[in-house]
Amino acid sequence: MATRTQFQNSSEIGVFSVLTNKYCLVAHGTAANFYSVFDAELSDHIPVVYASIAGCRIVGSLCAGNKNGLLLPSTTTDQELLHIRNSLPDEVIVQRVEERLSALGNCIAANDHVALIHKDFDKNTEEIIQDVLGVEVFRTTIANNPLVGSYCVLSNQGGMVHAKTPVREQDKLSNMLQVPIVAGTVNRGSEVIGGGMVVNDWSAFCGLNTTATEISVVESIFNLRDKQATNIVTDMKQSLIDVL
Amino acid sequence: MVVYNFKKIRVVPPGKDFVDIILSKTQRKTPTVVHPQYNIHRIRKFYMRKVKFTQTTIHERMSAILEDFPRLEDIHPFYSDLLNVLYDKDHYKLALGQLNTARNLVDALGRDYVRLLKYGDSLFRCKQLKRAALGRMATILKGNSSSLLYLEQVRQHLSRLPNIDPSTRTIILTGFPNVGKSSFMNKVTRAEVDVQPYPFTTKSLFVGHTDYKCLKWQVIDSPGILDHPLEDRNTIEMQSITALAHLRSCVLFLVDVSEHCGYSIKQQVDLFHNIKPLFSGKPILLVLTKIDLVRFEELTQEKKDLLQSVADEVHDMMGLSNITQEGVANVKQAACDKLLEHRVEIKMNKTGKSVEGILSRIHLAQPEKRDHRQRATFIPQSVTDRRNDVMDQAEDGAPSAPKRKTVKEIEDENGGAGVYQHDMKKDYLLKNPDWKYDVIPEIFDGRNIADFIDPEIEKLLDELEKEEEVRLEEPEVNYADDEIYIEEEDEDVYEKIMSKKSIYKQKQQLNRRANNHTILPRKNRPVDLDAIQKELMDRGVDKETLDRVRSRSMTRDASVTTGRGRSLSTTGRSKSTSFERARSVSQQRVVEEREANPVSAKSVLGKRKRSLSTRNRSQSATDKLSGLVDAKQQVAAIKLGHKKQRLLALAAKRGEADRKIPNEMPKHLFSGKRSIGKTDRR
Repeated sequence: MATRTQFQNSSEIGVFSVLTNKYCLVAHGTAANFYSVFDAELSDHIPVVYASIAGCRIVGSLCAGNKNGLLLPSTTTDQELLHIRNSLPDEVIVQRVEERLSALGNCIAANDHVALIHKDFDKNTEEIIQDVLGVEVFRTTIANNPLVGSYCVLSNQGGMVHAKTPVREQDKLSNMLQVPIVAGTVNRGSEVIGGGMVVNDWSAFCGLNTTATEISVVESIFNLRDKQATNIVTDMKQSLIDVL
Repeated sequence: MVVYNFKKIRVVPPGKDFVDIILSKTQRKTPTVVHPQYNIHRIRKFYMRKVKFTQTTIHERMSAILEDFPRLEDIHPFYSDLLNVLYDKDHYKLALGQLNTARNLVDALGRDYVRLLKYGDSLFRCKQLKRAALGRMATILKGNSSSLLYLEQVRQHLSRLPNIDPSTRTIILTGFPNVGKSSFMNKVTRAEVDVQPYPFTTKSLFVGHTDYKCLKWQVIDSPGILDHPLEDRNTIEMQSITALAHLRSCVLFLVDVSEHCGYSIKQQVDLFHNIKPLFSGKPILLVLTKIDLVRFEELTQEKKDLLQSVADEVHDMMGLSNITQEGVANVKQAACDKLLEHRVEIKMNKTGKSVEGILSRIHLAQPEKRDHRQRATFIPQSVTDRRNDVMDQAEDGAPSAPKRKTVKEIEDENGGAGVYQHDMKKDYLLKNPDWKYDVIPEIFDGRNIADFIDPEIEKLLDELEKEEEVRLEEPEVNYADDEIYIEEEDEDVYEKIMSKKSIYKQKQQLNRRANNHTILPRKNRPVDLDAIQKELMDRGVDKETLDRVRSRSMTRDASVTTGRGRSLSTTGRSKSTSFERARSVSQQRVVEEREANPVSAKSVLGKRKRSLSTRNRSQSATDKLSGLVDAKQQVAAIKLGHKKQRLLALAAKRGEADRKIPNEMPKHLFSGKRSIGKTDRR
């Protein structure tokens, strides 16, 4: 089920939230509107946590995680770390990472089994990612863009990448990640997919500007509402071609 | 993509108002009073300004109008034809052309009168020229009042035209009047077009929007058209024709099979054939309406054949009833599908980069298995349960379980955003819920919470270190790389050397840091006898040799010292013990010498005295006179010295080199008014 929402008039909700299969981090806004969208959808199943990193609300850009763990940048304060640690279930490892590229969310795209990371990441960081998130790690770019976390979103059922990714690269990524991949947009043509939406295995949240076509691509590729990924090349093909 | 928005055109004032606007603006924005002291030049400028200002204002207003109205050549042919039908292209162009001419006339007029004003030789004449100029400009504007009036009407009508996007997915409904076009439109969209049981209810184009396959579709309801030649068509029909001719769309040709609209099926089929050229290259659908009254099967064979002939041409015939809703959805779907297919075909037949981009977007990359690992999804049981519950409830029609209150609702109940503070610690997952509100200081007793997180961390670290040690001990040294290979028995010595070296290095560094002053050259540096002795003994020189060498150096030292007095003074600066010994040694030497050679003893003593005095040269004033023979000479020397100093002393100078000017710019010389001679005083 894909839900449209916005954070204080910004459709870039992937910047302000982190969603995994075991927990969800949400930025603290002036009102509870944004939080409540996640709250209503997820609270019965997983903890939805108010969080900030180094006093900033861009939690989605700054931290990355999956059901096994959560990586926080070195700028995270001890109080914030403590708050997150206390709010998340015990089996989730919370780890602060000393890495020059501190916007981990922009540089890491991960599901529960595989992660794509920025090419310039430190060797040690790579090991930490492997250990904490329990994933295989690939250094790669997406459509010549090193910020893999910004230009792609992954779940265990599918993945969506930058709209200008060539077909061959899509195939390559799909083999790496072992999930179906499609190129697409959110927020009325925005290619910054990681910044515009968050997804886990049973729900997705997109920016408020997302069009119906984009939503239905999202629902198909991530197998939400019993849609199949193959929808994209069968039922939706014509509408997609027409709007492109 | 061009967006047609005719609502932005600014209001066109009628001729009389236009004149008022312009003149009042001139009055407001230019000076109004000619003062008596103004000379003729200024008066001329005053009036020239008025004329020029009026002219530019008129020019600007006219240009704005000319720019705002769309140029028929530049806009989409659909709109240019529609404008032609509605407002008559010639009339429209003429009106704009007249405004353009008027603008040029006013410009020329302004120029002429400004030129004339240059020769105005009195206030009165200048004023008359200005009056004439403004008057003629106003006349020109008034002369164009009919064009302005017409353009204002066009503007008002344009702003009420439906917002039709010529490039998007469009479905056009067409057919005879009263066949049910508007009813269908109301069924499919939310446009709420007026539907009445008489023909020509719809007098202009209407637009509605509908959704299908996640896309927005524009449905255009056109006025009904009659079956007669193009020249005879009225404005209302022509709008339909324009839409049909220029919009890339799917056409729904509606035929009233019940003939309740007042036209027979034959007439309607004839109309289809008449306007067929307009449909070329477009997807068409033949739609039979009002089938609740008469079904296709119930028609006579003749009529059936007629309809069938049309259906054969368009490959598609469907029936619908707006009253029973039968077939409405089907028709909409069929029309949309047909149009979509058509558009996709056109798009994909293009070549180039855009097509490649599209292809990459509709590609679904499926993974090939690279290993035998199972990468399962992770969906909590509660989610699947909830999903099943919802499905069951949907089937049973039972009310869903009461929803939990969201934070937003709680916030609104408690005073809204900014007043209500959400308790973030409430949902902490801790072993003991009482711990939730414990205050945990960032630093306590010099320790941070991070220090307590893992009690076994020390142990683990130790293990790690041991592991590393083990790894280090492994014989992994590759001697081939090292150029120096040290035997085992030499290793002891080597180590000693290295440690000593490092100690020296550290000492040196410490020393350097401790005395932060310039480094003296070695020969000027004080020599510490004890240190030398100790060092030599450390290096393995035994005491005996040392003493022997030392005694030899002492005798040599003495002979040298008498000449220069260096050894003594240097040792004097070092430790006091060595100083005393050195002195005693030298004194002892003098005594010995005297005993050995009494003749030269006196001279030696004199030398000694001098050497002692040289040591204290700087301290004693009498030292200055030490080179003189007797007191007389001394007095003479002092006198000479004073004489030499006298001039300098008069000038209050320290010496020959003292060229200091105490105050380079004396205040009294450089400030205030100067009377005669002050400048040169310096």
